[in-house]
Amino acid sequence: MKLLKLYKNTQIFKIALVIAILVVGYIASVFYNQMKALDASVGLIATSTETQLELEKVLSVLSMYENNLRGYIITKDESYLSKRFLEKGELQRNISKIKLLVSDNPARVADLDRLNKMVDRRFELYHETLLLSKSEVFERERFHAKLKESNNFTQSMKTFIYKTINAEGDKIKFHNVNHQFELEDSIVSAFLLVILSLLILLLSFNKMNVDIVELKKSNDEFRLLNLSFNNAEKIAGFGHWKINGKTAVYSFSDNFYRLLGEEPHAFEPKLSSLLKYIHPDDVDYVVEAHNSSFEKMESTNIMFRYVLADGKIKYIKSIGTFAKNSSGDIIKTGVVYDMTDQYERTLELEESNIELKSINAELESFNNIVSHDLQEPLHKIQMFISRIEGSEFDAVSDKNKTYFSKIKLSASKMQTLLIDLVNYSRTIKGDKVYVDVDLRDTIHRAIDELSSDIEDRNATIKLGTMPRMKAISFQLDQLFINLISNSLKYSKDDVVPKINIFTEDIFENVYFGDKLILDEEYHKIVIKDNGIGFKQEYADKIFILFQRLETDPKYTGTGLGLAICKRIIDNHNGFIKAESEPNVGTTFSIFMPKS
Amino acid sequence: MISNKDLMHILIADDDEDDRTFFSEAMTELKMNNKLTLFNDGKDLMDYLTDPEITLPHILFLDLNMPYMSGFECLKMIRANNRFRDVSIAIYSTSSSEKDIEETFIEGANIYIKKPNDFTKLKKVIKEVLNINWQFHSSGLNKETFFFSI
Repeated sequence: MKLLKLYKNTQIFKIALVIAILVVGYIASVFYNQMKALDASVGLIATSTETQLELEKVLSVLSMYENNLRGYIITKDESYLSKRFLEKGELQRNISKIKLLVSDNPARVADLDRLNKMVDRRFELYHETLLLSKSEVFERERFHAKLKESNNFTQSMKTFIYKTINAEGDKIKFHNVNHQFELEDSIVSAFLLVILSLLILLLSFNKMNVDIVELKKSNDEFRLLNLSFNNAEKIAGFGHWKINGKTAVYSFSDNFYRLLGEEPHAFEPKLSSLLKYIHPDDVDYVVEAHNSSFEKMESTNIMFRYVLADGKIKYIKSIGTFAKNSSGDIIKTGVVYDMTDQYERTLELEESNIELKSINAELESFNNIVSHDLQEPLHKIQMFISRIEGSEFDAVSDKNKTYFSKIKLSASKMQTLLIDLVNYSRTIKGDKVYVDVDLRDTIHRAIDELSSDIEDRNATIKLGTMPRMKAISFQLDQLFINLISNSLKYSKDDVVPKINIFTEDIFENVYFGDKLILDEEYHKIVIKDNGIGFKQEYADKIFILFQRLETDPKYTGTGLGLAICKRIIDNHNGFIKAESEPNVGTTFSIFMPKS
Repeated sequence: MISNKDLMHILIADDDEDDRTFFSEAMTELKMNNKLTLFNDGKDLMDYLTDPEITLPHILFLDLNMPYMSGFECLKMIRANNRFRDVSIAIYSTSSSEKDIEETFIEGANIYIKKPNDFTKLKKVIKEVLNINWQFHSSGLNKETFFFSI
């Protein structure tokens, strides 16, 4: 694995290749020298062989002369002594040829000089012998002695020449052995050279192959990446562009063209061809931003509009940054993003926000009407009745007195209803300021508010320890006013109302929908009364707007009080539930988030 | 400064004729020997008050919902003028909305009275308000004591 990694490392491969080439170069030079030496030894062998040949030629010429001389002595035939007999020319040529061949060997040159002298002496002997044989007085003794001397000299010459030939033969043998060694060496070198070259070739080929496979793989990956990037651009609605600051060559992505409402590469990527797509009011701004970004080398973040060929307007956000490419040119790359949908949604949102605000304002004015203008006539009715009661009430018949009291009751009921309506609408409104609230203070304020009712009914309220929480203060006031007043309203005639307000740990599992209420997260506040109660099956109904369980006119509820409570608790992300039993009482449990 | 209680000068600005009548009848029935001046709206009131010749009133009962100039505007203008610093202002309104109470308290009204629905109660309210020791009331004023409850 590590080896493979090394193998794949191009740097290391390059170094190995250089070393291998150096080794091959070295071996090649060694091989060249060996070949040169081989060539030289072949030359030496040839020279020696030729020397031997020439020496033998000298010997044969001498033998030929001797034979001819003998032939003449025996037959006295002059034809044996043809005109070329005893001419040194041929021998001289042979000897000078040998001289040339052995010129680099001084010993051999000396030998040759000796040989030359010997040839001269031999020629003298030929002549002396020939003269003796030709003389008229045949001196038998001298002739025999001369023949013997000639014969001996020839013999010694032959010995000398053979010695020289043998010496050359030894030289040939030596050179031959050397040649054999050199040949073997050069074979090894040649083999090494071939093997190494082959190895380098194979390695290079393999490396190339591996590189090509890798290249193909990364090419494939790159292609896929490009494809998915193109898709991503298409789906996400953005395109990108690139400008070479030096060559001023632009390139636009496929989706860049699509954002302009054109097919990819519909026109040559140039600033001038792009400008006609930019909204006329925005062109100057875009060009200015673009140019100044190049001057200051600052990134851009601009918004402008495209006007497409079909007249459609697109809202575009363009972000550009600078980078350098491998040749050191400054490249500005950027992304354009189609914000049209977002922009339109924002517009819609703004519109509905405005609408919401006007609805809120309407609600506000409705509140004002309810709290003032509608109460005004009721206030008057009640005032005038009280005027009548104060002045000539005795003169009124009993029947009419009852009517008056009914009018008074209706007016007061109407007023309560109006106040409840105002309170309810206030819980919907947006002005929710969360402050740190001490629930104890809240409940005390509620009790103060209801003090006359509490006194009227002689009720007792027991208050346990209460937590603090972040809440909308006036809404919590309203919550407890409504809950306590609810308990007072639905109290039993013959029993003193007792209201118990306390907190409790949450130990059983309480669910509201799928939401499990945990003690760590919620405060539990309980309001328990001993009132008339109701059947548990109506427990959810009581929180619905205008839903009333009791229709007896002595119970003055409006059907709004508990609906307001529910709303307030919803506003605080809390929960409320009621548990009740007819004639025993009702327990409201409120769960408010601790943070 | 008029220190005699019997000669207290009281102003009421209310666009509702009936309410003005109730108020003056209540004053009459209370047999308090005070001087009561009635104004039909905020503009009337301010025209009167800006006259430098007048003697300053002790207590001003101010309705909030009035045409031309609301009670709230009158309150702001009066409190912006140092000349009226000793005039006690009692807001006298049908509404008892949290917003109105809050805002008039901030703007320097001395007490907030919700118009009673009963004539007897009205007399009781007027009597009590006229008997308030304003110096004492104002020094301990907070949002709880600001809203007058019988």
